[in-house]
Amino acid sequence: MIRQRKLLLSALGVLLIVLLASFQYSRRIREYRSEHFLMDTLISIKVYGRNQEVLKKAVAEAFAEMRRIAELADGFPQPGTAAYGSSDVCRINAQAGKQPVMVDNDIMAMLELAKKYHHISLGAFDVTIGPLMELWGFGGEAPHVPDAHSIQAALARVGSDKLVLNGHERTAFLTKAGMKLDLGAMAKGYAAEKAIWILEKNGIEKALIDAGGNVRTLGRNVHEAPWKIGVKDPRKSAAVTAVLQLENASAVTSGDYYRYFEAGGKRYNHILDPRSGYPAVRTMSATVVTKDAGLADILSTVFFVLPPEKALETAGKMSGVEVFLVTADGRILHSSSLKGRIEVLPGDSYRYDQGR
Amino acid sequence: MTRADKFLLAGLVLFSLLSMAALYSRFSGGDDKLQSSKAVISVQGKILRTIDLTPGTRSSFTLQGRLGPSIVGVEGNRIRMLEAPCAGKVCVNQRWIENPGETIVCIPGEIMIRIEGTAPLDAVTR
Repeated sequence: MIRQRKLLLSALGVLLIVLLASFQYSRRIREYRSEHFLMDTLISIKVYGRNQEVLKKAVAEAFAEMRRIAELADGFPQPGTAAYGSSDVCRINAQAGKQPVMVDNDIMAMLELAKKYHHISLGAFDVTIGPLMELWGFGGEAPHVPDAHSIQAALARVGSDKLVLNGHERTAFLTKAGMKLDLGAMAKGYAAEKAIWILEKNGIEKALIDAGGNVRTLGRNVHEAPWKIGVKDPRKSAAVTAVLQLENASAVTSGDYYRYFEAGGKRYNHILDPRSGYPAVRTMSATVVTKDAGLADILSTVFFVLPPEKALETAGKMSGVEVFLVTADGRILHSSSLKGRIEVLPGDSYRYDQGR
Repeated sequence: MTRADKFLLAGLVLFSLLSMAALYSRFSGGDDKLQSSKAVISVQGKILRTIDLTPGTRSSFTLQGRLGPSIVGVEGNRIRMLEAPCAGKVCVNQRWIENPGETIVCIPGEIMIRIEGTAPLDAVTR
């Protein structure tokens, strides 16, 4: 009898171990990833957690939010289509010089941010750059160098001082006919930040959103270490010039290599200085590291357009903002506060003075 | 211990060993995949085909993107876009990819080619 009880007990013990093992297996951290073509780019969301259903639901909601913002902010749908009707930006543009337009909360928030950083950057960041972008043809298939006279004419229709916002009525108004908003320099980052907020609301603690190279990380990576984010080499296609260690932060880059054309042996990139009407040429790439992806997106354009030393100085005055620059003359510069979180790989192509 | 007890004990031990083997193989399944070289091609978010990247082989084929036909070239363990109907040709200009986690993305055609496996970096800002 005693023997039989022992046997039964040991049998139960073995069963318990097997059950525990399978339970552990089902509780281990898994990755769930999903990718969608959105906002003229590929957006990928990776999340980590124990419950596959929770992960799936969170990512679906995050994408739904990004799609909603993409539609509100899309400046290029054909008039008359459904996409045109659901775009606040198109409605504001259509009423330029006529009347204020009531807009969604998120568009209002974006435009308020845009005006704030237009002021801080002394005009280097301007969402009313639409007429200039259109003149250069960067949105379309045949970009070209416009004549100086047309650039002056387009510049007259650019300027965030002529964008009037009314927070109480939630309206936006471009006061001059022919003005055009272009949220291309901020919408992806803003949308990624909203998506992170949705993921967090769903209890997600680890995630990485890559919105066409605009990167936002949540928490630490699956090995409980900081995420390793490369900074693309502005000239070599598969290479990186630095590796950043990010924890709950964003890295967004503006570069001269993404959209550009060559004419008369000169390179013309798509990031225009809204004050001159010509492409900004002193920097090859500007990467901003800060928590908020929306802010990182805005500042990457600001620091690309500003002269490199001025960009470093401006970033230095902002708390929690760091910048990494590859200048047009091949120098690598970065905020000293990045030390310890950055590995610079200058190779033979760039000069890097570590003393800085 | 009776004969039946011994059978029961042997059966339980066997059962638990098999369960452990099953769990172990599921655990390590992911790592095994990293060793072999495969490219996954998806169009508009749906996986279209998976290509074995075998050294010493060479081929090309046409696939239908959102804009029309694109031609993909495979050579040994690397893969590239040879022709595309888009205006920018970013995907064609990117040339070969071969490392785990590397991707070629054609945004207007909504095509993605990705080498299976985990990249040493979590992402690249660009």
